[in-house]
Amino acid sequence: MMNPLAVPDQHRNKDGLMADFEAVIGLETHIQLNTVTKIFCSCKADSWQDPPNTNICPVCAGLPGVLPVLNEAAVYKGALLAAAMHAEIRLVSYFDRKNYFYPDLPKGYQISQFDLALGDGGYLDVTMPGGFVRRVNITKLHLEEDAGKTKYEGGQRLVDFNRCGVPLVEMVTEPDLRSADEAAQYLIRLRQLLRWLGVSEADMEKGHLRCDANVSIRTAGSTYLNTKTEIKNVNSIEAVRAAINMEIERQVSLVQAGGQVESWTLDWDETRQRLNKMRSKETEADYRYFREPDLLPLELTSEWRDAVIQNLPELPLERQLRFMTRYQLPEYDADILTADRPIADYYEAALTAYGTDPKILSNWIMNEVLRMQNELGLSADALTLTPEYLAEVIRLVDAGTINAATGKALLVKVQQSGQPPQAIVAAEGLSQVSDDSALQSVIDAVLAAHPQEVESYRGGKEGLFGWFMGQVMRQTRGQADPAKTRALLQKALQGKR
Amino acid sequence: MSLTDQSAFDIAHKIQRGELAAVDVLDAALERIAAVDGRPGALDYGPLTQEDQTKVHAFITLTADRARQKAERVDARISSGEDAGALAGVPITIKDLFCLKGVPTTAASRILSNFVAPYTATAIERLEDAGAVVLGKVNMDEFAYGSSNESSAFKPTTRNPWDLTRVPGGSSGGSAAAVASGQGCLSVGTDTGGSIRQPAAYCGVVGLKPTYGRISRYGVIAFASSLDCPGPLARNVRDAALMLSVMAGADTRDSTAVRLPVPDYLAGIDRGVKGMRIGLSKDYLQISYPDPDTGETIMEDLPAEIRNMTLRAAETLAAEGAEIVENVPMPNSIYGIPAYFVISRVEASSNLHRFDGVKYGYRARASGGDLAELYRLTRAEGFGLEPKLRVLMGMYMSGGQLSLQYFQRALQARSMIRADFETAFDPDGPYRLDVLLTPTAPTPAFKMGDFYGDSTLMQYSDQLTVSANHAGVPALSIPGGLSAEGLPMGLQLIGPDFAEATLFRAGYAFEQATADADWRAVKPCVLAEVE
Repeated sequence: MMNPLAVPDQHRNKDGLMADFEAVIGLETHIQLNTVTKIFCSCKADSWQDPPNTNICPVCAGLPGVLPVLNEAAVYKGALLAAAMHAEIRLVSYFDRKNYFYPDLPKGYQISQFDLALGDGGYLDVTMPGGFVRRVNITKLHLEEDAGKTKYEGGQRLVDFNRCGVPLVEMVTEPDLRSADEAAQYLIRLRQLLRWLGVSEADMEKGHLRCDANVSIRTAGSTYLNTKTEIKNVNSIEAVRAAINMEIERQVSLVQAGGQVESWTLDWDETRQRLNKMRSKETEADYRYFREPDLLPLELTSEWRDAVIQNLPELPLERQLRFMTRYQLPEYDADILTADRPIADYYEAALTAYGTDPKILSNWIMNEVLRMQNELGLSADALTLTPEYLAEVIRLVDAGTINAATGKALLVKVQQSGQPPQAIVAAEGLSQVSDDSALQSVIDAVLAAHPQEVESYRGGKEGLFGWFMGQVMRQTRGQADPAKTRALLQKALQGKR
Repeated sequence: MSLTDQSAFDIAHKIQRGELAAVDVLDAALERIAAVDGRPGALDYGPLTQEDQTKVHAFITLTADRARQKAERVDARISSGEDAGALAGVPITIKDLFCLKGVPTTAASRILSNFVAPYTATAIERLEDAGAVVLGKVNMDEFAYGSSNESSAFKPTTRNPWDLTRVPGGSSGGSAAAVASGQGCLSVGTDTGGSIRQPAAYCGVVGLKPTYGRISRYGVIAFASSLDCPGPLARNVRDAALMLSVMAGADTRDSTAVRLPVPDYLAGIDRGVKGMRIGLSKDYLQISYPDPDTGETIMEDLPAEIRNMTLRAAETLAAEGAEIVENVPMPNSIYGIPAYFVISRVEASSNLHRFDGVKYGYRARASGGDLAELYRLTRAEGFGLEPKLRVLMGMYMSGGQLSLQYFQRALQARSMIRADFETAFDPDGPYRLDVLLTPTAPTPAFKMGDFYGDSTLMQYSDQLTVSANHAGVPALSIPGGLSAEGLPMGLQLIGPDFAEATLFRAGYAFEQATADADWRAVKPCVLAEVE
């Protein structure tokens, strides 16, 4: 089937499609807050894998006569996010009705916030792949309820209300992003922040974090805004990147061919990796917003607001910078060690226990602990290998009690058994063989067993040295101190005993 | 006198003391219903018979079996020495706008004709917990949109027990007619622009619109959410006070239900009006309405008998020791109806969105699974004239730029109306009123068919009641006398926020002072036949 929105080959500019244009992108995100219950009733908020319409009550199913009652936990999480986005938390905000008909919207209106929302303004500073920091401004940050889901099956439209009333924060950026990569990076950082704050699971595949992208192009360097298109249904970072790139390419070739971008809504088809036109958007829908009379104005005290701000943890970027300045870590290390809060906390706890070189510790974590985490699918705070045990293992290596290879294997044993490293070393006799006489007798035995190889070596085949090292290591099950072995072996082979 | 004609207060006390059985009271109520009500309202009602015109038709759904179980439980509790509640065994009716679990809840609309509520409204739950016995659901204007009951999809619609050719008022017309004709002692209604007080006045009973938020709205099918107030209808002030005591109070399911303690409204109800400052306002002795042909505003004095009833009541209260304050200005009252017209319709149109044929209620047969057609047909066939008019007006007046011209201006008018009351009741202000005394309605009950179809003119019968809804303040309607034609006329007592106890005290004082008046002895015509 032909892709109606594909760029015809003859319009592709081989010398660089984007030379004369820049993309202007704004993202509209919907963030599911991870509260226990829904925003206006006491149904459980998380319905993942629950059968359809099993997690509903008269309130979220919009029966006649029901009323919403605001969940304070949703307000708290929304305010925490607003604070982290440097938005002003309004002490008085309002809920409004957004009226429209859709079968999965049981009341026929969505309770949302319109002109006086919980958050006012705000921004997120995002370090872009090129190394510069882009400030992405926020135009809208408000609380609202989620709608249900509609699906089509066997020619029927089926509606599942389980998701109705799940608390959402809708957050809309200014058109501050300039490429698909920047948009992807914003989402990566937003996802990191949401998990960091503990306000959302932020799993795009599960719809915890949903994104629509508004895309337009303009002559590079200009400041006006052209007609934009809106891309919907992009539910992974990669999809956002691919869809935006495709749309930029389409707009550029359209304009280069003398055409004009029209205000369309586009649907991203994940399976076919292409954009489909959903509808032309000539006029803004009229949602007839008005104050929700069933809820009182949301009034917060300044004490409450101050407490929210006080409870705000050190944010990822701040922590990354602190790791760089205080521990002299390279940016690369600091970024990885602040990927999420558990790993950052793990690093700092291990550093306290270890007491010395932050970079050595960083290497151990980035190489060994992160690999272990990935293999086990555990976050750092769930490891049996505590930061204190890790520090103990590294100290054993530093002291020469065990070598590095044993140290790495020991980490796995600690994780598997939960035993302290020292105990495992003692029980399994893992201490390095550095006793000269013990090592000497192993070397003597090896040489005695291989007289021909000794003769060849002595006759000039010095390349055999590594083979002798290997034999000794095998005999000592790798616990021989490599430096000491090398010295003793050289003496023995030269017949200088 | 039948048991069902006694006061709720007396019935409850006698049942509590074991002097009376709840089932006997229930039987008396059912007997009365059988005698005066005729066939209940229904969608497929066929032609109106001669007999239909001699009956009240208050009910849509009679729940006699359910009521008997409840009454038997009350009697069982009494015989085992348990507390059966403040309304033990008192038969009541419920406006069919309140959800009652397992019972059809129709809002008098075809679109909900097959809806059986899966839960019970808070106010009803409290009444039943206090021992009240629900006889059934009574008729009303469709979705409470009206002032005559004529817009109900369930016909025959309710008739006025005092004159069966006249309307009972509305929208809580079934409630007022039931109480007036002894079909239960009490009824629960809702008041958005006068929907408890106007029918109470037309049927010669007591009706209270409490302060907004005093009674939970949970389980009440919404008309205009910022104006809706559930409230009691009763045959005397004390019964209304007793009923409010049971229904009022905070509710975890309604965040607009106020978290203020509920006073004992019966305590001190008989303390009289000595020293009470009671106001009269010229702005409540005239009405303004648009000329049906030119649209120009016509100002007119109220009929003399309505004015005279009000002034006589002031004299009566003055004789009881109240201080009458004349010429209290309420200049913004004239904006009451226009502002209400806008606000109530904007909210109503949004509240009606959920009736789309998808989840519950009536669903049209749409061809080819077309969603827009399903919506269109369901709403075209399911809604009657009034909901359609209100959806059209409400959507028009809240859309785009028009919202500024209509909705936002209406909200401003609402604030101005509220300011009038604040000035009048300000304890440091020039008037320092405890109560404002006005007529409830500009006329007694009108004839069926007089206004139906002209929803603008119909609206103007709420002119004297609607301001209290805008302002959120409580207002009580009590019988004030009979017109020359022998029809009840209502007096309205309006107070500041949460001053229900003051209103009851003033109303009770008036009731006591006029207990021996000739008009008190006159009963609704439908009762003449049963005695």
